This record gives sequence, structure tokens and C-alpha cells, in this order.
Amino acid sequence: MLQCIFFLSDSGEVMLEKQMTGHRVDRSICAWFWDYVLSQGGDPSKILPVIASPTHYLFQLFRDGIIFLACTQVEMPPLMGIEFLRRVADVLTDYLGGLNEDLIKDNFIIVYELLDEMMDNGFPLTTEPNILREMITPPNIVSKMLSVVTGKISNVSTRLPDATASCIPWRKTNMKHASNEVYVNLVEEMDAVFSRDGALVKCEIYGEVQVDSHLPGLPDLTLSFANPSILNDMRFHPCVRFRPWESDQILSFVPPDGEFKLMTYRVKKLKSTPIYVKPQLTSDTGNCHINVLVGIRNDPGKTIDSITVQFQLPFCVASANLTSNHGTVNILADKTCSWSIGQIPKDKSPSLSGNLVLETGLDRLHVFPVFQVGFKIMGVALSGLQIHKLDIKNAPSQPYKGFRALTQAGEYEVRS
Amino acid sequence: MAPPPAPPQKSPSPSQPSGKSEVSDLKLQLRQLAGSRAPGADDSKRDLFKRVISYMTVGIDVSAAFSEMVMCSATSDIVLKKMCYLYVGNYARCHPDLALLTINFLQKDCHDEDPMIRGLALRSLCSLRVPNLVEYLVAPLGAGLKDGSSYVRMVAAVGVLKLYHISAATCLDSDFPAMLKSLMLTDPDAQVVANCLFVLQEIWNLEANKSEEASRERETILSKKIVYYLLNRIKEFNEWAQCLVLELVAKYIPSDTDDIFDIMNLLEDRLQHANGAVVLATIKVFLHLTMSMTDVHQQVYERIKAPLLTLVGSGSSEQSYAVLSHLHLLVMRAPMLFSSDYKHFYCQFSDPSYVKKLKLEMLTAIANESNTYEIVTELCEYAGNVDVPIARESIRAVGKIALQQYDVNAIVDRLLQFLEMEKDYVTAETLVLVKDLLRKYPQWSHDCIAVVGNISSKNVQEPKAKAALIWMLGEYSQDMPDAPYILESLIENWDEENAAEVRLHLLTAAMKCFFKRPPETQKALGAALAAGLADSHQDVHDRALFYHRLLQYDVSVAEHVVNPPKQAVSVFADTQSSEIKDRVFDEFNSLSVVYQKPSYMFTDKEHREPFEFSEEIGNLSLGQESVGNAPRYDESDKDLLLSTSEREENGGPSTNGPAASGYSAPTDYNSSLVSLSSQTQSEMAISDPGMPKYTSQMTLAIDDLLGLSVSAAPAPPSLKLNPKAALDPGTFQRKWGQLAVSISQDCSVSPQGVAALTTPQALIRHMQTSCIQCIASGGQSPNFKFFFFAQKLDGPPSFFLVECIVNTSSAKAQVKIKADDATASEVFFGLFQSALSKFGVL
Repeated sequence: MLQCIFFLSDSGEVMLEKQMTGHRVDRSICAWFWDYVLSQGGDPSKILPVIASPTHYLFQLFRDGIIFLACTQVEMPPLMGIEFLRRVADVLTDYLGGLNEDLIKDNFIIVYELLDEMMDNGFPLTTEPNILREMITPPNIVSKMLSVVTGKISNVSTRLPDATASCIPWRKTNMKHASNEVYVNLVEEMDAVFSRDGALVKCEIYGEVQVDSHLPGLPDLTLSFANPSILNDMRFHPCVRFRPWESDQILSFVPPDGEFKLMTYRVKKLKSTPIYVKPQLTSDTGNCHINVLVGIRNDPGKTIDSITVQFQLPFCVASANLTSNHGTVNILADKTCSWSIGQIPKDKSPSLSGNLVLETGLDRLHVFPVFQVGFKIMGVALSGLQIHKLDIKNAPSQPYKGFRALTQAGEYEVRS
Repeated sequence: MAPPPAPPQKSPSPSQPSGKSEVSDLKLQLRQLAGSRAPGADDSKRDLFKRVISYMTVGIDVSAAFSEMVMCSATSDIVLKKMCYLYVGNYARCHPDLALLTINFLQKDCHDEDPMIRGLALRSLCSLRVPNLVEYLVAPLGAGLKDGSSYVRMVAAVGVLKLYHISAATCLDSDFPAMLKSLMLTDPDAQVVANCLFVLQEIWNLEANKSEEASRERETILSKKIVYYLLNRIKEFNEWAQCLVLELVAKYIPSDTDDIFDIMNLLEDRLQHANGAVVLATIKVFLHLTMSMTDVHQQVYERIKAPLLTLVGSGSSEQSYAVLSHLHLLVMRAPMLFSSDYKHFYCQFSDPSYVKKLKLEMLTAIANESNTYEIVTELCEYAGNVDVPIARESIRAVGKIALQQYDVNAIVDRLLQFLEMEKDYVTAETLVLVKDLLRKYPQWSHDCIAVVGNISSKNVQEPKAKAALIWMLGEYSQDMPDAPYILESLIENWDEENAAEVRLHLLTAAMKCFFKRPPETQKALGAALAAGLADSHQDVHDRALFYHRLLQYDVSVAEHVVNPPKQAVSVFADTQSSEIKDRVFDEFNSLSVVYQKPSYMFTDKEHREPFEFSEEIGNLSLGQESVGNAPRYDESDKDLLLSTSEREENGGPSTNGPAASGYSAPTDYNSSLVSLSSQTQSEMAISDPGMPKYTSQMTLAIDDLLGLSVSAAPAPPSLKLNPKAALDPGTFQRKWGQLAVSISQDCSVSPQGVAALTTPQALIRHMQTSCIQCIASGGQSPNFKFFFFAQKLDGPPSFFLVECIVNTSSAKAQVKIKADDATASEVFFGLFQSALSKFGVL
């Protein structure tokens, strides 16, 4: 049972306070929290998500410069606190079109309204964005325009959402749409770790099946894959029926309206990675020569885009001089070095080379950076997952169906 | 309770009102608008309301505008209404008289034709939390529970709980719990059902202490009928309500194995729910249901592994942390099961360090013959990590793995390679590990010593590492040619050595070295003993003196004492007892797991039991916590006993007859405590020689005094108090409520006592010497308030409860005594008074 939620800015200022129960939580807890943050180095993203203060147990979540802080004095499932704060952050991002201090301060009335519907007396009620959107209209441009024209500014619908009365809590009963279309996107992230000697330590893909549905009535969809056996660790949106999946690996569901995550999955023990990054560091009397080569290892068949290589220069490096034959190299104030390559040209393979001057007294480099690689490949799901077909029942007319795929780098790390 | 703090802004920006002028300006404008029906009135109201609320949001007290806000509340605009509700909810508690003004419009809104407004109004009405307005709540709540709209019913259900917290009696008298129960079993809307369940659980938990009927009701919620009813509807519930139902099911005691498998089959798909909280709650159900079936329990581990690992991988680092904490618990219980999944616990560069730390611990735990090579290779990569604490942590992990394994050949090589990295912290951590390794595997000494001997002691600064190096120098001085000379140079710098630990080790090492290579070390040993004798640190001084006398007595005996043949250490002591681990496991899916401590070790007493302190006692600090060592010992023991009985109570409705409802029968654990306390008593007397000892003679002496001072009522021959009486705050609170005041009298406090009473602790400690324990205390000079208790030593447990208010400026104490046995309270009062009068005198 959460007793109170605070929003803090990344400088520790209390932006908003919402008391949930009769046990008022004094604002001084925020001061305590901020002192704690400062004592831990001052970076809110590095603070433990669950902290015990002398008076309360605190859950904290740091998103886009805002700290969401929830207080409780009783034992409760920790994930309930953390997940709830995550949902609050997600819903607010969704409503306000982003998340930052100014947005919260400009729209605090909506934030209050949302929190009011999301939690009553410390117990989470509804966090489903689709339903909330029906109760409280997001402050979009259209509604602003409308309010100017009609003179009525109300972001609250006077009707209660139908879904609260339907037996499918994620969809309202009578949906009418001008459009009649559904899109299925496979979005995959490749996590790979290469060891110092270039061997592949771990390679996995974390994927999401995202659906964007704009269908009238109560459509019943079935989605099947050509090779479902490669999937592991699936998690489903509440709309997915469990039995058909268990018996035939078919996703059968009545979709919520709009965008949602139908399923997440993991594909393990992959062997092929699209690009290689080969760093070489050789130390010599107070200097370290660095050379990084990037190239295509296994051609995925589509263009590899937005390739970046990022690494943190060790703290014992006094100065660095890096050049590349392709793309741009930037060294930021915190000694993060980022090399954006973009696409790999046909005629040459990109390389970065340069010299690191070590601090005086150091002969060799002992701490080696980890190279984090980013890339994006449109049109391919690197896990090899293929959609077999999508059937729609209960639809008045055959809707338009669209499929897309995208693979990007997740935690793609090369150690040196 | 307290009004929102007046502007505590650190950096007031120019746009914020600096004083009262803005607030009064707002008041004026609101008043002008109050009666206006002009077309644009709502818009200007909205702007004003927004300003008021934004001031409220930044923490400025705008309660002065209360009546104006209420006047403006007559509007049909729902946003205006919401802002008004918000405002009223925030300030009603500190302006109870003004809150009455809002009742009218809120009640009117409760009859609005729009269900949304009805619901909102009802929610705000219940959120006012003003005790004297309770009478206005009952009718709207009753109507709300029967409302046609599920939204209103849902709000009304939670409203009942709010009413209960304001005035439990009103809530129970209006028969709301029964209404909620029927609603819970019949309502078509799942959210209403969930809210009813939530509220009923809360109410019955709190009531269970007070009435038997309530504890029976609490058990009915756990009956098969209700649990199955809820389980069958589980898919209708939203994710949070599912968590609630699952929490309930975890407490359910299944009747037979079919029952268990039915529930598990029904819930299996919950393991793949997108919400991590649901997944963890389901896992808890599975683990608890199968606790008694060993083979199924193992299968459950297998089954829950994948969903947990998935949760770790997908989602935010905050979530991973909470899930990893639970995984950590499971891994520690069954490391074998996870040994093939070690790659899941590899650290990603971008993981926050708290996640990395947990992962390292798990890698350490699951390392076995089949995966050690991979894991150690991975850990060695972290040793060069940019993140120094993690680098240290991973070196330690390598060492721990080495200590667990039989085949340490390769690991020792790796560790020795760390020493060649020439990074000071790597060297430091490695030295400590090498020392531990040598204690367990003396056979590796040759390889290790060769490398360690090359390390210059100047490069080692950290005390722990330095101590380890010195230990090795002493232990293996015969294999290290330079050992005596290194020690000698270290001893020369004795004064620069800050850590006592290092100096202690230097002394011992010099001794050991002396026995092996006397001529070379003699001078160094002499210097070390001289320096040690002059040392200001007590332990160092004592050890030097001890060695000195030992050597004087007989050198061969000294050698036998200091340098006996050693046996290799086979198992290093575990820091956490298995009992604690089990207890944490019982509290799966709770904060206990994250803190790696059972909840009794960190939860306030106030919240430990399903029992709420009255404001009065709640605000006082708990006296026992801060006084002395022995009471704390007692405390934790009591807690252990307490929580066990609590657990039994939650767990077993079948075993839980009316007579056994834990708290009402504290006899059992009190008596077991008495036996325990008699063991600790002697220790305590020794450890605290400054305090007067509470022997029975002492008590008798006081009784004699008593006979003189109390003339009325022939006192019983003697009253002996239990020196280690124990009472938990809950029982105290209940007794205090039940018993009548048997004595209420004023007595005086000596001037010395007044002078000594600077903090409550002083008196608490003093009263303890007279076997009177403090349960809660508080206040500041000149007024202090204490709640004491004492227990009769002989016969059936009989408690005396005392409320004592001391005013130091008038040197008076108001004493109220309540007693289980009212006839003995006179005598006890005498005891109490004489103890109080001695305060500061002794």
C-alpha cells in the first residue's frame, strides 16, 4: 500500500505531491531522500530502487530527469511499487507526449487527475492507457483547438469508459472507426557480448511483437509464426488466450484499440552477428595506441544503418587524439568517446585510430574500455522469426494488414 | 497531521508568491467570481483554481482561501470540480470547521446524474478525513455501494476503508463489512470485487485482534469457497487486482494435493503475464503450495526459472533489481538448478552497479565443476573494469569460488595474474584472497609466496590488504628470504601505521618470524614489542604485553602458543544463518527479499502487526530500542517468537481455534522468555558493573522501605518483579485499553532527578534497574511522557502498566497505573515511587 507519491526534479526540487491515505507523509522525506542521493554521488540513476529511510520505505524510479518517489510504511510486494511507478511514468509520457519538468508543471492538473484514477487509497486501480484515455482526454492539439473554437475546455469525458463495464477490460464494447487496418511489427534487439579475444560470449535477441490495431467491433485475431519453436521466455499481453498458444503456438486475441505490445520473447544461442568491431590497444611507455576496425560479418541482406561505436576512455588517460577514415568522432566531457559511422561504405572498411596519452607515472594501460555498438536494420528480424499469417474473424469487411520488422542493437558489447 | 509546511523553498523563483499578498489577492478574485453567472466565469475560475493548486503543489499554504474555494465550487464543469475536490481533500484535515462547508456540495454531487461525478464526489467526501464529519459519510456510502454504476460502487468500497480509518466504530455499526462481503461475492464488475476484497482484508486484519468474530471473518475469506470463486474470475481482474488475489491464495491452505494441482493449473499462464508483479505473486503461490511436497517443489523451481530470468532480461534496471533479489534468494537455496544458466548473470556494461553486485553474488553461488572455467574467465574480465567497486567485487568473487572448489589450480594462476596487473586496489583485494586461500589450501603456498614476495609493501596501503600481506610474511617467513627485513622496515614505520588491525598483525608476524629465524628477527621483535607496549590502542598494548610476558616466561611455550601447527580451514563461517534465510523465503515477494532480511528486522513495530497504534503512542519513540544491550537482545528474541506465532496464525485456519489466536494468549512465549532471560541475566550483571544489580535482596530492601511509606492497606509480604519482563507494544496497547486505572496519583521528583532528566533514556535506564521496563517514551523538556510496564515474577503472568508524565519545571510526576491484578497495584505503586525517587540520587 503506497502512502504517498512525490515527483522530484533532477535537482531535488519537489514538483508534485499526491497523498494516498490518511497517513500523511511529510515532504521532509524528500529532503532526506535528496541528501541520500547526494551522499551516493548525486546521480539519481545510480540509486537503489528500494531504499529504507528512517521513517518510510521508498521506491524510486528515475525517468527522463524526473524522480518518481513512492513511500510506504508497510510490507508489500516490491515489484508492485516499482511496476506501478513505471506505469505512472509510461502513462504520463503517453499523455504529455514526453516527460520533463516543464511538461509536468504545465499539466499538473492532468497529472493529478491521472493519479487519482490510477490509485485509490494506496491500491493501484487501472493503469491501462486505453481506459484512462477514455476517462481523461490527453491534452493534444486537437482538443486544444476544439476548446478554443467552442470555448469549452474540458479534458474529462462526461461518460464513463465502456470498458469498465465490459468483460474484456482492455477494449470498449462498441468501437467505430473510419479506418480498418492492423499492423504487426517485429521489433528485435540484439544483445551480444564479445570477449577480449574476439570470441562470442553470448548472443541473444529480445523481441517484441507490437500491434497497432484500428478495427471496428469486436474483432478476433489469430497470428501464427512459421517457426515458433525458436521462441523462449514469452510474455503476453493480457488479451492473449493461453490455451491456443500452449497447444498450437498460435496467438489468439481480441486486440485493444491502438498500439500495444502483444508479446515479448527471447531467442537464445544465436551464432551469427551482423557486424564485427575489432579493437586493438597496444601500450608503450606512457602511450597507448588504439585502433578499431568495423565491418560486416554476416550480411543480413538489408542495409545496416546508424552504426555507432561508443566507449569510455579509462580515467587514467590524460589526453586522446583519435581520427577515423569514415564518420565522425566526438570525445565528450566525461571521457565518453562516440564514433558515429552511419552506413558502412562499399569501398573501404571504417577504422578509428589514434593515440592515448596516459597519466604520468603509468607505463601501461591496465583498464580497458568496453565498446558499445549500435546499429539498426530495417526490414529484417535477425532472430529469423517469421510471421506465417494473420487471420481476422468477426470483422465486417476485410481490413488492411501490414507487417514490418526491425532489428537494432541492444547491449552489443565488445570488450578489449 | 501537520499542515503542509509553509514555504520551505530553497530557491524561490520570482513567479511564486512570496507572502500573503498573493493569497489574499486570489481570495478577492475568487470572491468576486463566486456568485457570477457571466458566460466567461468558468474560464476565469479555472485559471484561478489552477493558480491556487499550483501554489499548493509547490508547497505554499493556500488554505486561507478555503471558504472562497468552497463558494466557487457550485459549477457544472467537471475539471473545476476535480480541482476543487483536490484542494478540499488537501486542506480539510487542518480546517475541520471549514470542511463542514464542503459537505453540502459534496453530498449534492453524490446525487448527480453523472456516475463519474457521483464517484468523484464520494471519493472526495471520504478523503476529507475529518472525524466529526463522519455522520455525513454513512448515508452516501450506503447509497454508493448500491449504486447502479460500477464506478461508484468501486469508489464506495474503498470509501468504507477510509471511513474505517477515521472511525472504526461507525463503520462497523453501519454494517458495512457485511455489505462489502455480499458485494464481493455477487458483483459483476471485477474491480468492485477486488476493491471489496482489499478493504475487507484490511478491516478484518485490523479487527482480528479485538474481536473473535473478526478473526473468524478473516478466515472465511481464506475458505475454499471464496478462494476458488476469486480464482475462477482471475482473468477478469486487472493486473493489480490479480496481485491481490494471488497474495490471498498464497495464504490459503489447500485441503489435499488435488487442490494444489487445480490451483497451479489454473494459474500457470499467469507466469507469462506482462506485469512482473503478477508473475512474482504467482511464483509465491506456487512455492508456498508445494512447500510440503519435495519433488513437486523441485519441479516448481524448474518451472519458474524461465519466467524469472525473462523478467530480469526485459524491462528496466529497477525491475531487474527487484527480480534479481528474488532470484538471488532462489539461487542461494538451490544453486545447482541454475548452474547451466550462468550466462544470464553476466554483467552488462550498462547495468547499474547494484544490479552487477547481485549478479556477481549469484555467479559465485552457482559456480560448480562444469561452469567454473567460464565463470572465472568472465569474472576476470571485470577485474579490469572501469567501475572500481565492481572490479573489486569480482576479484572477491573469484576468491570465493576458489574457496568453494576442489580444483583450484587454474584459479590460483588467475589470482596471481591479478597481482601482476599492478593496480593498487586489484593487488589489495587479491592479497586478502590469497591469504584466505592459503589458510584453506596450504599446499599452494609455494606458488603464491613466490609471487607475493615480489610485492613491495609500499604499494599496499589498504589496512586489510596490508594485514594479509603481513600475515603471510609471518606465516611463511621461512620461504621468503626477505621476510624479516620487510617486517623490520614496517616496524620502523610503526607510528605512521594508523590501523590497529595492521599493528596487531605486525606483532604476531614478528613473533612468528622470530621463532623461525631468531637471529635475523630479534632486533625487529624487540622494536615491535617496545612500540606495542607504548601503543595507545588497548588491544595492541595488551597483545604486546602478553607476548612480552609469554617470552619472559618460557620461549618454547610461547612458540607453542603463537606458532602451533595449523590445520587448514575447511569451511569458512557463513554470515547469514540458515534460519534467517528460511524466514526470508517465507516472505517471498516482499521487501524482505530486497533487503535480504526478514521483515521483523527492519519493519517498525508500529506496522509489524495488523494493528494500528493510537496517534498518541505512535508519536512517541519506542523506548526499548535505544537502551542498553541486553534489552535489545531480548527484543529480537521476542520478535522471533512473535513472528512465528503470527505466521502460524496466518497460515493455519484449521489449527487456529479461538483460544489459540496468538496475541490474546501471550503466556507461552512469555514463560519461555523467562527461562531465557535467566541465562542472560548473569551476563548482564557482569557486563554492566556500574549499575545497581537487581537481585532479589534489592527488591526485598525496597519492600521494607515500602512497609514504612505506605500506611494504608497491609501490603502483601513482597512483590518481586520479573527483571526481564517482556511485552510487545500491541499487547500493551490492548491491555491499556481494556484495564481500568487502579491508581492515579502525583508524586514528586527529586531535584537531582530533574537535573538528570535531560533525555527520556536516562529515566528509562534507571527504571530498568528496578525491573520496570519502558515500552514507549517521548517529549522534550520540560514535559516527558513514558509508558512503563513490569511483570510479577512468580505465579501467573500479571502485568503492571504505567503511564508517567514528568514535568521537570514543577518537579512532579503524574502516575497512572493499570494492573492485571488490581490488588497488587498499591504495592507496585510503592515500588515505582521509590524507584522514581531514587532517580538521580544514586
